[in-house]
Amino acid sequence: MSSNDPTKLIEQYLERVRVYLPLDSEDAIVELQTHLIEEAQRIGGGTMTAGSAMMAIERMGDPKRVANEYAGSGKKVGPVPAEYVNPVSRIIILLLGVGAAFTIGLSLIGVTITQLFGADIQNWPFSIPLMIFLNLFILFVIIGGLSLLDRDKPLTEKTTLESIFGIGVDGFKAKGRWDAAGDFIMGVFWGVVISIPSIVILYTDAFKALYIYVVIFLFLGAIRGALFYFGGENNFNLAVEAFLSVVWIALAVILIDVGWPIRYVYNFNGSTWALFDLEGFFLSNDIPFVPFDWIWIFIMFVTVVISVWRIFASSMKISMYLRAGKRLWWQGNWGERRRLRAPLWRRFLGEHDQFQQKDTVYHDGYREPEEEQ
Amino acid sequence: MYSTLLRTLLKEVNTVSMSKKTQEELDRWSKEVKRGAVTLAILALLSKRKAYGYEAVKLLDAKMSFLALEQGTVYPLLRRLEQRELLRSEWDYEDPTKPKKYYAVTDEGSMALSEMSKAWTNLSREIQAVLTEVE
Repeated sequence: MSSNDPTKLIEQYLERVRVYLPLDSEDAIVELQTHLIEEAQRIGGGTMTAGSAMMAIERMGDPKRVANEYAGSGKKVGPVPAEYVNPVSRIIILLLGVGAAFTIGLSLIGVTITQLFGADIQNWPFSIPLMIFLNLFILFVIIGGLSLLDRDKPLTEKTTLESIFGIGVDGFKAKGRWDAAGDFIMGVFWGVVISIPSIVILYTDAFKALYIYVVIFLFLGAIRGALFYFGGENNFNLAVEAFLSVVWIALAVILIDVGWPIRYVYNFNGSTWALFDLEGFFLSNDIPFVPFDWIWIFIMFVTVVISVWRIFASSMKISMYLRAGKRLWWQGNWGERRRLRAPLWRRFLGEHDQFQQKDTVYHDGYREPEEEQ
Repeated sequence: MYSTLLRTLLKEVNTVSMSKKTQEELDRWSKEVKRGAVTLAILALLSKRKAYGYEAVKLLDAKMSFLALEQGTVYPLLRRLEQRELLRSEWDYEDPTKPKKYYAVTDEGSMALSEMSKAWTNLSREIQAVLTEVE
């Protein structure tokens, strides 16, 4: 559904452009955003309306073409049209990364990819080309169908295909500043909690021998959070993230054999807190303790998948930034997107989008006349 | 009488198709000329004063009707000229709702502009001379 809010129309249009631009193109988006606002204000005689915004957008043209010309990336690669090279390659990298992450995670817990669905895949690995062909065929049928459904949508409305490509954009978004702050706080909090002596006595002997490495890792994770909080996304911070992810995978290989790390829990017996042997209770009552080990394996699996993804994304971004001529450290961003509209809480307090009231003032001092609608 | 009408009609059809072909040739030629001219025009405009993207688009619109560029094509060109170090840019966040990226010509850009201007003047003079001879 198209909105009547001009700022929303521009944002929706820019979202579509963003899908086709390479990563790290926020500058291009901001430049286009300023252009669209000023053009809409000029058309609207100083005030931006839904109609004037729509006209400005239509003058700018098809998002695919605009992004392609802007990025200068427009070369057809094989059967992929130039405009789709960026989003398609991004989504392929995303799928490969997720696939690699799950494969490594699964192999860590002793499941081979051929046994994933309970039975060995027949004729492995010769079934791969056939599977790829079938999947590509299904993909083309789906894309064709979606494109037919989307053909009458207005310029501001994302097509279904673009929504899918959008996953590729979000998958590589820089770490948010509050996420980084969360990493720092949680790293310090859990690092302290799991090293408290009254907590340490709860661990199994095997985990007791290793918990200090987990504490060190958590504190290093907190430092990484602080680095991202202050420096945003840059090559140094990405390298730290990739390094810590490698360290965690190495640690996880050892930790997974340790099994469920907590042997005792605190139990209040009416007057004092005493230790209750959790593992002993299960074993003495003939209840299998295995589910706890499964939970542990699942936790390890998830953290390893995330770590592999981080290594993948960090390596890709570092090479991208190096190609763009950036060095080790700079003030990076936090994946934030410039919003045209005031946040809901500010609008609730009565703050409006200021630019709608402002005249356009050019560098030479010329001011666009403001006219009443 | 019918044959005269038919002949007139055919002549009309021919005239229309010829003018369409001429139009196509003009479009093609214009595109080729514009491609080179727009770089010179942008460098010349920005050598006098720095300007942000939208300003540059409007200046080109106002001063160079022949170029009549699509709005979306000016930004990629500014970006390419910046990458080739003929232009430099800086962001102005004074109005946070409309951050502006100002472009100005670099020393390298000024030198390129000077040489391009000479080449353009020579070319214009020579073309003019050829055209005068033909006329």
